Amino acid sequence: MLVLKNLLRRKVRTLLSILGISIGVAAIIAFNAIGQGFKRSLDRYMKDTGAELVVVNRMMQDPAFSRVKKEEQDFVRALPEVEHLSLGTFTFASPRGLKVKSKGAMPALLIFGRTPGDRILDKFKKTVKGRVIEREGEIMVGSIAAENFGIRVDDTLELFDQPFKVVGIHESSVPFEKVGAIVSNSVVQKQVNMGESCAMAWVYVKPGADWSKVKEAVETRFTQLHAMRTEEFTNFYNQLEYIDWFVWVISLVSVAVGALGVLNTMLMSVSERTREIGTLRAVGWRQAMVLHLILSEGVTISVVGGLAGLGAGTAGAEALIRLAPSGFLTTHYTPQLYAIAMLVAVGLGFVGALYPAVRASRLSPIEALKYE
Amino acid sequence: MTDAMVKAVELVKEYEAGSIKALDGVSLEVPRGAFYCIIGPSGSGKSTLLHMIGALDRPTSGEVFLNGRSLSAEPNLDAVRAKEVGFIFQLHNLLPQLTSVENVEIPMMALGTGRIARRKRAEELLEQVGLSHRKSSIATKLSGGERQRVSIARALANQPALILADEPTGDVDSKTGEEIMKALLAARERNGATLVVVTHNPKIGHGADRVLEMRDGKIGDLGRGTDFRKREPA
Repeated sequence: MLVLKNLLRRKVRTLLSILGISIGVAAIIAFNAIGQGFKRSLDRYMKDTGAELVVVNRMMQDPAFSRVKKEEQDFVRALPEVEHLSLGTFTFASPRGLKVKSKGAMPALLIFGRTPGDRILDKFKKTVKGRVIEREGEIMVGSIAAENFGIRVDDTLELFDQPFKVVGIHESSVPFEKVGAIVSNSVVQKQVNMGESCAMAWVYVKPGADWSKVKEAVETRFTQLHAMRTEEFTNFYNQLEYIDWFVWVISLVSVAVGALGVLNTMLMSVSERTREIGTLRAVGWRQAMVLHLILSEGVTISVVGGLAGLGAGTAGAEALIRLAPSGFLTTHYTPQLYAIAMLVAVGLGFVGALYPAVRASRLSPIEALKYE
Repeated sequence: MTDAMVKAVELVKEYEAGSIKALDGVSLEVPRGAFYCIIGPSGSGKSTLLHMIGALDRPTSGEVFLNGRSLSAEPNLDAVRAKEVGFIFQLHNLLPQLTSVENVEIPMMALGTGRIARRKRAEELLEQVGLSHRKSSIATKLSGGERQRVSIARALANQPALILADEPTGDVDSKTGEEIMKALLAARERNGATLVVVTHNPKIGHGADRVLEMRDGKIGDLGRGTDFRKREPA
């Protein structure tokens, strides 16, 4: 009763403190949800291939620069446990290079290189309008990219100064595949001067075969290569970890600023209520009770701010991905993310209220009663 | 041995490294159930004496016995105040954001009294001081006299054995002051508490069992209230 009434006494100040905490929590939710959304998209991208392993060049920090040479591809393909090897390349194309006018704001077109007719394209067969690429000179366009550029099946699209026949408009559960296009590996290899190398090679192991033998064979023969389970892909590239750290640092700075707001609010509140605190002590309230009262007020601000931040962060993340070029961003929310965000809010609110609470509890009743 | 509710022995209270002596060897005994009035000019040490016997502060030297217990032996004066003492301040010191009934509940929170019992007791006390109709009024909406009556009700919340009133009528007009004293004395009769009132106003002493005078940190006995009344002009 007393906690709520004290907070409602200065409604604007309390609201501003709640806002400070909620902005910080919203930042945690929004940035992390988008970051995790991107990682989940990558995980799904890998899982949807249906392959057990993916081979990359471990020397390269970024998969875009990974190169698996032809002789390395041939070695993997020849292993007794390997049923099939799918090669993958990718690059970005500027919309200027497409010779089409973009309807929306698409900064680039993601170009995925695949072997025409390869089994890795099977996942598109159920939902593609038209068909998958089966030969050189053909292109499949993601549904969002097609919508944005006004591309239809049987159109001719000029890319990298070459004409391509649009044979299919594909859907995908992976958002960034919908903003991309799929052409033959040779197109990308030529465009980025990578010869017959590929960026990564997906390994389909024979039923009942031991994938760890493939891994061991590849990594023993070629120490620069890394053969990993497809579900390990996002953990392998630690720039994604850096993204995580960056996101958390930004978010925590935001919440810390909110906690400073709580500190300021509680200090002002304690100062204004010095005589009242003296009265509480005079009528028998113990120091611990005064401490508990002030801390409760701070934590209440944090809890309310935290809950508001959960909602605002979720809404903000959804708004952000709609504002961003379609399909590049997606979100993923977990109960753990919400729980951690709330814990951080309440914890920092507690810390922010602690100093004012201790100060209030240590006021001498006599001095407090005399305070003007 | 007298049945003293309060016994002070040679109390000394110094401030600023002894340069200010608010109490200079004050001794007194207040019998259980009595009404004592302490008068004196500003700065004479009246309020300081009240703070000592009310366990709000500790003396520089000397002893205070409250209800037979030495306060110097008490590690936690908060608990003593919560159970034994009810304070009424000149400026009432109500919490402005609370209603009358909520203000009266405040001391009961110190003893962990349950919500329902607190509310019941608070409403009873407001009825005793004639403010049932104002129980839901925010403290800032009350008149000076009403606030002081709420303050009286608050002081009685934990059924203290000792009520200390520091200039209870100091902030109101004389008519309201009389109403306040009437309410205070009635409440004290009903609850059987010992009452010590510190005041500038000698008229308040007329009804007291004893009137004491503080001057320059020392205490003197002016006799019974009735005798005091005869000496004081009307």
